[in-house]
Amino acid sequence: MTRYLVGRLLGLVAVLFVTSLVVFGAIHLAPGDPVTFLLHGRPATPEAVAALRTQYHLDDPMAVQYAKWLGGVLTGDFGTSAQFHQDVTDLIASRLPGTALLVAYAALLVALIGVGSGILAALRPGPLDRTVLIGTGVATATPSFVTAIALVSLFSVQLGWFPGPGGTPVGFSQQIYHLTLPAFALAMTFAGLLARVTRTAMLDELGREHVEVARARGVAGRTVVRRHVLRNALGPVVTVGGTMLAGLLISTSIVETAFDVPGLGSLLVSSVTAQDFAVVQAITLLSVAAFVLVNLLVDLLAPLIDPRLSLHGEGSS
Amino acid sequence: MRMPRAIALLACTAALAATTAACSGATAPRPAVGGTGADFEVTPLSPPAKGNLDSFTWSLYAEPYTLDYALAYDYPPNTVLANVCEQLFRVTPDMKIEPGLALKYTQPDPRTLVYTLRPGVKFHDGTTMTADDVVASLKRQMDPATGSPWGSVFKNVDAIEKTGPLEVTLRLGKADILLNELMAASPGTIESAAYLAKAGKDYGTPKGGVNCTGPFSLASWDAGSGITLKKNAAYWDPKLTAKSESVKFNFIEDPAARTSAFLSGTSDGGYMVASNSYDKLRSSGKGSLIFGPNTAASNIAVLDFHGPLGNLKVRQALSMALDRKNIIKAAAGGVGVPAKAPAARGAWALSPEKTAAIYDTLPEPVYDIEAAKKLIQEAGVSGRTITLATSTLAPEISVVANAVQDAGRKIGLDVKLKSVAPEAYSNIFVDPNAREGLDLVITQGYDNTPDALEFYQYLRTGDFGNYGNWSNAEYDVAFDRANSEPDTAKRADKTAELQKIALRELPILSVFEAPYSVFLGKRITGAPTGIAQLYYPWAATIGAAK
Repeated sequence: MTRYLVGRLLGLVAVLFVTSLVVFGAIHLAPGDPVTFLLHGRPATPEAVAALRTQYHLDDPMAVQYAKWLGGVLTGDFGTSAQFHQDVTDLIASRLPGTALLVAYAALLVALIGVGSGILAALRPGPLDRTVLIGTGVATATPSFVTAIALVSLFSVQLGWFPGPGGTPVGFSQQIYHLTLPAFALAMTFAGLLARVTRTAMLDELGREHVEVARARGVAGRTVVRRHVLRNALGPVVTVGGTMLAGLLISTSIVETAFDVPGLGSLLVSSVTAQDFAVVQAITLLSVAAFVLVNLLVDLLAPLIDPRLSLHGEGSS
Repeated sequence: MRMPRAIALLACTAALAATTAACSGATAPRPAVGGTGADFEVTPLSPPAKGNLDSFTWSLYAEPYTLDYALAYDYPPNTVLANVCEQLFRVTPDMKIEPGLALKYTQPDPRTLVYTLRPGVKFHDGTTMTADDVVASLKRQMDPATGSPWGSVFKNVDAIEKTGPLEVTLRLGKADILLNELMAASPGTIESAAYLAKAGKDYGTPKGGVNCTGPFSLASWDAGSGITLKKNAAYWDPKLTAKSESVKFNFIEDPAARTSAFLSGTSDGGYMVASNSYDKLRSSGKGSLIFGPNTAASNIAVLDFHGPLGNLKVRQALSMALDRKNIIKAAAGGVGVPAKAPAARGAWALSPEKTAAIYDTLPEPVYDIEAAKKLIQEAGVSGRTITLATSTLAPEISVVANAVQDAGRKIGLDVKLKSVAPEAYSNIFVDPNAREGLDLVITQGYDNTPDALEFYQYLRTGDFGNYGNWSNAEYDVAFDRANSEPDTAKRADKTAELQKIALRELPILSVFEAPYSVFLGKRITGAPTGIAQLYYPWAATIGAAK
């Protein structure tokens, strides 16, 4: 177990190192010049441009820039945002709660709606199953920015039930209220996918021999579903759900922009446009770290749900 | 997704000037170009407030990247700062320049400017403003370590000295009236010297904040989510005492989301409304969309005078072949007018008695394909290729770019569009290497002062805003003459000489002028409507509509 964990953690470090190289290289190959943004497009004297280049170490060789940056990152210093003239660490710390709450809310919706409707569809063949299939088809096919626009124009502009973009929530309950539409916009696609995965996994398990046997022995239907079907079907659902959690993190940029939620996603979008290197590097690195960590957690959880799986990943059923 | 922040970026690139209709008093409604949409009129003010408010929410299309006045050169930071930090002078809603923190200035000789400061003005922390604060604030703009985009405004300044407890003297190497006028914009902003020293590199950030003299003080700045201002009870100017106890700013970058915020009431108002939501906002019944005086202009700058565009006939032909009315329909929702000169009507607001003679009597731009075709043939450039930069930076750019391409096709010029990334597009205005291989670039920018001279300075030989390195000795001499003329009316006449040369030589093709815009929800009113809001405490006059 310890050996396995150490191995996985070393792998995580390796992934992050490669990511840092790729992110650093890619962003420096991108067209444009951060000085443009620093000057806000205003024509400037050559002296002013030179001063800015020195200030932000833009004339150092790339290897030197990379080493300086990595050294900073290892001590928790992600540098200074050229766009906002603030420490990147502070900037991210101020945006993280917004994104975290949105993702948590959306994840809850994905789990409830996705797993719930998947189970329902598997257990109730016929019109209900077909309805879920059509609904999930639409949900997965609709991009989140379309869902966002539709939700805003219906529920905040027309009906006025929920606040529109740009509200200033005070306190946790208001924040949840403000995040409801964004969370739904974010969750719909993933909930649709998870519903389909759950439905298929359930149907697989329902058709298995031990389920038939249990039924034949007169075990109550509810117990069969809970102890034999649901428990076994949960494996793939958790695995897919874990990857989705990472997907939710990535998709927030679109929803945060559409609903003006102050989070990491909208910060990433504006930083990319502004060529704010330090911020883009930090957010990308953190996203990859979150992705890898979530996957690790899912792998560690899997054997707890399904004891047939060992930690070494060798199935023994 | 479209990034409105980038529009402002672009707007600042050229720092070119122009405006729409008259700037004092409402103008008669103009029919919208092309006969679509409603007519529009330009007024400097919205109806006055009827009462006080606890608070209102104002929407910015992007978060300010700083509240440091020395770095503020964009709509979002200046819109907030206008209420918090004040300049020696201020630009009024009807585009005049009036005393601010300075009571007056004198010019004992052309190279000396003496500012007499207003006594008894208090900073938000309670300390009193003195000449030392003014010296520290202005000198900071000149320090290369500040990295101020305003540094070049001070290029003729030899010394900034305290010459009395409430008197500051600027000694210049060369007469420079524009410098004096820009004391009504960011370059003339005054901050407490002690606070600047204390805040250090955090000055103007969410951590460091600011401490100025305006009718509102900065209460909080939660990076990413909002800025809150609170009323300054000790404000020196009774006629601009804030009518609202606080103002909350939100930052909504997505134009569709911003429109929804106006319609759902989560934002009470905002400046710079996207033109594609004009119709929706007007017909919503949720508030009013008002147009105000503007100094912004949409132009096309020639970048290469060695190619086909080096021939004046080709420049004339291209200007003649531009379908400006359709451009306005597509790029500005029909709200705008074809521009008669690169620096348009509103740029002349400082001497309104001259505007009629200098600007209004100019002929309307001619749209004549046949004549243009003939000019191209005479120039012997039929079938030649010219290259124009285009970008998704702002929808207006692609509209104008396509119109230029279309014009070229009709008159026998092959216009190649070179699509560049948004950042690379802005770079064209900063880096001469980025202009290589380009013949034309579309510019959009605003003047900080209501003086056309600010626009025309960028066409001087060697000015870094002169992207095509256009050079005309007669022009350079005329510029120095205008920039040493302290009398506004006489200066307007001298600036008109520059306009005449620019129209004759066409180093820049003017396209259109659109008014400034503001949306006010039903709950509030009293906001100035024009671009003067960048340097006038606009939020102070906003109050209850009923």
